[in-house]
Amino acid sequence: MADTTASAGAGSSGMRSGSKQSTNPADNYHLARRRTLQVVVSSLLTEAGFESAEKASVETLTEMLQSYISEIGRSAKSYCEHTARTQPTLSDIVVTLVEMGFNVDTLPAYAKRSQRMVITAPPVTNQPVTPKALTAGQNRPHPPHIPSHFPEFPDPHTYIKTPTYREPVSDYQVLREKAASQRRDVERALTRFMAKTGETQSLFKDDVSTFPLIAARPFTIPYLTALLPSELEMQQMEETDSSEQEEQTDTENLPLHISTDDSGAEKENTSVLQQNSLSGSRSGEESLIDNPYLRPVKKPKIRRKKSLS
Amino acid sequence: MPPTGLEPARMNRKKGDKGFESPRPYKLTHQVVCINNINFQRKSVVGFVELTIFPTVANLNRIKLNSKQCRIYRVRINDLEAAFIYNDPTLEVCHNESKQRNLNYFSNAYAAAVSAVDPDAGNGELCIKVPSELWKHVDELKVLKIHINFSLDQPKGGLHFVVPSVEGSMAERGAHVFSCGYQNSTRFWFPCVDSYSELCTWKLEFTVDAAMVAVSNGDLVETVYTHDMRKKTFHYMLTIPTSASNIALAIGPFEILVDPYMHEVTHFCLPQLLPLLKHTTSYLHEVFEFYEEILTCRYPYSCFKTVFIDEAYVEVAAYASMSIFSTNLLHSAMIIDETPLTRRCLAQSLAQQFFGCFISRMSWSDEWVLKGISGYIYGLWMKKTFGVNEYRHWIKEELDKIVAYELKTGGVLLHPIFGGGKEKDNPASHLYFSIKHPHTLSWEYYTMFQCKAHLVMRLIENRISMEFMLQVFNKLLSLASTASSQKFQSHMWSQMLVSTFGFLKSISNVSGKDIQPLIKQWVDQSGVVKFYGSFAFNRKRNVLELEIKQDYTSPGTQKYVGPLKVTVQELDGSFNHTLQIEENSLKHDIPCHSKSRRNKKKKIPLMNGEEVDMDLSAMDADSPLLWIRIDPDMSVLRKVGFEQADFMWQYQLRYERDVVAQQESILALEKFPTPASRLALTDILEQEQCFYRVRMSACFCLAKIANSMVSTWTGPPAMKSLFTRMFCCKTCPNIVKTNNFMSFQSYFLQKTMPVAMALLRDVHNLCPKEVLTFILDLIKYNDNRKNKFSDNYYRAEMIDALANSVTPAVSVNNEVRTLDNLNPDVRLILEEITRFLNMEKLLPSYRHTITVSCLRAIRVLQKNGHVPSDPTLFKSYAEYGHFVDIRIAALEAVVDYTKVDRSYEELQWLLNMIQNDPVPYVRHKILHMLTKNPPFTKNMESPLCNEALVDQLWKLMNSGTSHDWRLRCGAVDLYFTLFGLSRPSCLPLPELGLVLNLKEKKAVLNPTIIPEAITGNQETAINPSGHAQLVGFQNPEGDHLAKEASCNISAHQQGVKRKSDTPLGSPLEPGQILEKNEDSSKVKLKIRFSSSQEEEEVDMDTVHDSQAFIFHHLNMLERPSTPGIHLGVFNLEGKEQSPLEMSMHPVATAPLSVFSKESTSSKHSDHHHHHHHEHKKKKKKHKHKHKHKHKHESKEKDKEPFTYSSPASGRSIRSPSLSD
Repeated sequence: MADTTASAGAGSSGMRSGSKQSTNPADNYHLARRRTLQVVVSSLLTEAGFESAEKASVETLTEMLQSYISEIGRSAKSYCEHTARTQPTLSDIVVTLVEMGFNVDTLPAYAKRSQRMVITAPPVTNQPVTPKALTAGQNRPHPPHIPSHFPEFPDPHTYIKTPTYREPVSDYQVLREKAASQRRDVERALTRFMAKTGETQSLFKDDVSTFPLIAARPFTIPYLTALLPSELEMQQMEETDSSEQEEQTDTENLPLHISTDDSGAEKENTSVLQQNSLSGSRSGEESLIDNPYLRPVKKPKIRRKKSLS
Repeated sequence: MPPTGLEPARMNRKKGDKGFESPRPYKLTHQVVCINNINFQRKSVVGFVELTIFPTVANLNRIKLNSKQCRIYRVRINDLEAAFIYNDPTLEVCHNESKQRNLNYFSNAYAAAVSAVDPDAGNGELCIKVPSELWKHVDELKVLKIHINFSLDQPKGGLHFVVPSVEGSMAERGAHVFSCGYQNSTRFWFPCVDSYSELCTWKLEFTVDAAMVAVSNGDLVETVYTHDMRKKTFHYMLTIPTSASNIALAIGPFEILVDPYMHEVTHFCLPQLLPLLKHTTSYLHEVFEFYEEILTCRYPYSCFKTVFIDEAYVEVAAYASMSIFSTNLLHSAMIIDETPLTRRCLAQSLAQQFFGCFISRMSWSDEWVLKGISGYIYGLWMKKTFGVNEYRHWIKEELDKIVAYELKTGGVLLHPIFGGGKEKDNPASHLYFSIKHPHTLSWEYYTMFQCKAHLVMRLIENRISMEFMLQVFNKLLSLASTASSQKFQSHMWSQMLVSTFGFLKSISNVSGKDIQPLIKQWVDQSGVVKFYGSFAFNRKRNVLELEIKQDYTSPGTQKYVGPLKVTVQELDGSFNHTLQIEENSLKHDIPCHSKSRRNKKKKIPLMNGEEVDMDLSAMDADSPLLWIRIDPDMSVLRKVGFEQADFMWQYQLRYERDVVAQQESILALEKFPTPASRLALTDILEQEQCFYRVRMSACFCLAKIANSMVSTWTGPPAMKSLFTRMFCCKTCPNIVKTNNFMSFQSYFLQKTMPVAMALLRDVHNLCPKEVLTFILDLIKYNDNRKNKFSDNYYRAEMIDALANSVTPAVSVNNEVRTLDNLNPDVRLILEEITRFLNMEKLLPSYRHTITVSCLRAIRVLQKNGHVPSDPTLFKSYAEYGHFVDIRIAALEAVVDYTKVDRSYEELQWLLNMIQNDPVPYVRHKILHMLTKNPPFTKNMESPLCNEALVDQLWKLMNSGTSHDWRLRCGAVDLYFTLFGLSRPSCLPLPELGLVLNLKEKKAVLNPTIIPEAITGNQETAINPSGHAQLVGFQNPEGDHLAKEASCNISAHQQGVKRKSDTPLGSPLEPGQILEKNEDSSKVKLKIRFSSSQEEEEVDMDTVHDSQAFIFHHLNMLERPSTPGIHLGVFNLEGKEQSPLEMSMHPVATAPLSVFSKESTSSKHSDHHHHHHHEHKKKKKKHKHKHKHKHKHESKEKDKEPFTYSSPASGRSIRSPSLSD
């Protein structure tokens, strides 16, 4: 029986992870536990009068038993934590069992039944240890006011200050200087790039590269860019990050796509604005504004009245 | 023809001073306007109007209405078909063949043409004959309903379509349409009585696409879907009697915002702009409250609408219960500079709602009252909103403007009275346009007119107190609102019209004061006062001897007699003295209060009661006078030149608390470049309590002084250390603080100082390197990330500063400008400009202020020879599709280029744009800029000045601009600037001379036309072999006779023959010229008619019954005409001529007013009926001919809208003209 279960366990684990079978101590631990459970199930079956059982049914019963025990453990842990303890007590188990619909009173009698089989204790296997990831230095011991069951201090490197020897630049003048020149460089590079890749105009007939001006392009709706300048949107976002600019550059670079992109953006805007306006008018209606422009449009009458005087 | 109909109307006008008498023989009570189809794609409009009128005379047989551009399909009166004719002489002012190029001639003709259709004179373009079936009905003075079906195709004026060419439905594209125009221009989009004095109630219906909104006057009664549910009809009702001129319309896919403070106020803007609209209009309710409070009168209409549209004609246009604004006035909370401007526009339009829309005017000469009152209450609003300083500063600015304009052009007359319509009595003979009609006025004159009107209202307020003033307004308003509620008593409605007489009467009733002298001086008379003051202190008598001289002989000036306030600041305080300015007294002795001895400890009391310590060491030890001001309250429209010592100006600047005085002293100190002036200006600049505008102008004055003192100047460049202290970091003085514009005063100062500093020059007359570096650093370290406001205006001013620093390039023997010889400083500047301009493409600024400044700066660089002068860049920015501010800046550069480089090509490009640009505002602006910065002037030789240009401009103002009054007047302005009043000198003399001279005979009749004697003389000299006719030409009488003979007997054959063998444009023999002249009129006719027929054929499908139509027309005159109304149109048909002449005669016998327009058809008949009219051949021969051509011209034009086949086509037997 042990063989079958073993092979079954090996088979199942083999299904999961082909080659690295039982090399892992955690896996070993689980396998040993399951084997013990199988023995228990088998002995219970024998006790109940079965002479043989199909492997599959034994497996199923084992699974059920494991689930049951696990559930008792989980539940008991919850009860214990609920009362602010870290280790379950007997009463936790009892409450759990009661909760699960088990009659606890029958338990002592059952334990003392005559025909019970005694199973040898499973061979001791060491608990799997979660591998510690790169410990550095000695963890500080708990100071006396912290109960010992509390978790240990993290590794020292996570809270110990490491002095660095380069002072960051905090001089105002240099910072401003840096910000200004950085921005200028970005702008210049950007505009140059734009000018290089698009149509340009020049102030000097003989030279197009020294002061390249991006060619003027008429807009279809000029007032929109003038009154809703993207510059202000950027300022409102408070982040003059270059990511936005780069995006824009990309789209601006392709003259064919610009209009579609723009209109796409416009559409987005409109939909947002329409929502705004809708909500605005809705809130207006809520406060019962009687404005003729907010009234619903009437359906036409069957015979439209001639509109004379 | 024009002149005659005027006479009775003028009489009415005069009587109108007592009460209103309509110039029309009927009263309009109600009008329906129904536009049932608007096609954005084709830019067309279809609809009808229905006017309900009550005849006021029994024999009313013709009804004249105004209509331009509209194609009229059908007119019915009480459901009976009515005949009508359409005659608009303003379409082409002078007939085409005329070689007359004299502006005086044009102005007279134009004034006459406008009069001929002036509704205030009972005239109109559309003349409807009352069907004979209704005559009896009319005689009983019963109601008539005139139903007119019309359409409008591609209107060039009146209605403006904006249709962006993007994908999507019209609503998605943001297409919209709105009415616009200058003064009464409603006739451009529907037939009406286009007068401010004809009030009626309105029903307005507009059927538009379901996604669109139609905004119009009055209350929106309901909105109903059409049957297919794809369109909806907006029904408006305006129950307050309103003139057609105050009717407006705006249709578009507007976003709707109900004002959160006043639910009856609704705002409309184009898609996506709603957040801006919310912010912009959030302030409007305060303006409402202000006006209602001061006028103690509720807003007269039951609702108010504001519509913000693109491509606006003007920034603000007020109509009954709605105002149309330019969308460019919208702004977000981050914009500083635009906010006060926009608020001013809102307030202005609201003031006009009360005076201008609700209260209308009786006649054009009463316009000043409305403009004056609305401008005056707007000023009160300014005072309350922006403070007294801003208000006084504004008044001073306006005063300076009007004074400068009047001195330049010779006077603005607020209340013109025209006696008998004679040109001799023209009260504005110094002007090159007529001031009889709003439509003939130069736009600049009109703006100055408005400016003067409100200043005069302020003068009246000074005289009668503001309390009375407001009572008068309240009285006018309450009278009007009582009248407006009289729904069925339309005769009461005239109470809603204001007249000069009525207004003055109200003033005297309310205040009990006689303001007649004031009115006489400033309203009935043009001109301003020019004072020159100087003084001496008589120590012995302790008297100030003040001498005040006046210049009242220069153009635009007048003599002032009356009280004049003088304020003298002495050591012991400020004292007001009222001097009496009389005819011959120049000197005035003013006793002083203080002795000259000085008590060092004592504080000096100022005008406002404040007492200050002054350092008196600068002053004259013998005199107690600190400073003197003449007319400190600006209670005279004047210019004061006053002489006082520099230290007095300096004291005035430092210690006088009136901003106007400070401003004046700053101006005066420019002439005193001394360290003391420098100190005074610097102190003012630093003083935070000082009005920011004064500090701003102190900057510029300081720059000028520094330049004058350049050799002795010590220390860093002017203002640099000041700016550093105020706006730069404490630790690193070369770096400007990150922007924080919370304090607007310092914001404006921060903006201005660098601009002024850039004007500094060193001994080599170059901008100091230190200053340039400083400005470049400002730009470099500009950091707006933490700012609540946008810095776009600030950055734009920094670019302006860069431009100001540019000095002319040192050119070595005119080398071509290339990169290699570029000045290193200029290279830095160009670097910045390039970067800014390019960044604008990626991250545009509000209203593209930075692009605008960059374009200006580039032009400055070009002009100073650093960069090759080239207009291509500007031309690309001037294209349609750029934001309007950019376009204007670019166009300004092109205009400047045209002038500097004398470029014919660019001038043509500009002229082409004037005619064809889709945006009226841009067209106006180009003309204006060309007039301000003309490529040449009348006294200047220029290769640009040639005959073709004269012809082109002439054509532009003669016929090319008939769809826009303002544009036409703008073209006239330009023509005047370029060529002056008389015939342009660049025109070749020989062949045209004689033709012109034939016409000059009119000049003999009309003294306002300057006879060009030189032409005649030259003519003689050139053609020494001239025969009898030429001799005759010298003598008008004789010439007429000779010409008579020649044209009647021999002209035809000769003419034909000559034409065949004379090449075009070659000089003619003098003898033939007359014939040519004679012939050309006929020949031209034929050509024109045949061509017009072609046009007509295109439109034939729309003609319902052209034959019947003509028939109607020809029969129209069967009934005796209504007195005073003349139709000079039917002389087209030779055959019909004779019977018609009888009705034309009264015209001819009328006085020879308005340069003898009365000529009418008599000359025409000369050709066909020589035997007629012997009695009146005397002097008017040529003129008649002229006239008759004109008439044909107008007739031909008239037909266009009707599109009936010309009966005259093929009639002419003459051979083709050679004159073209």
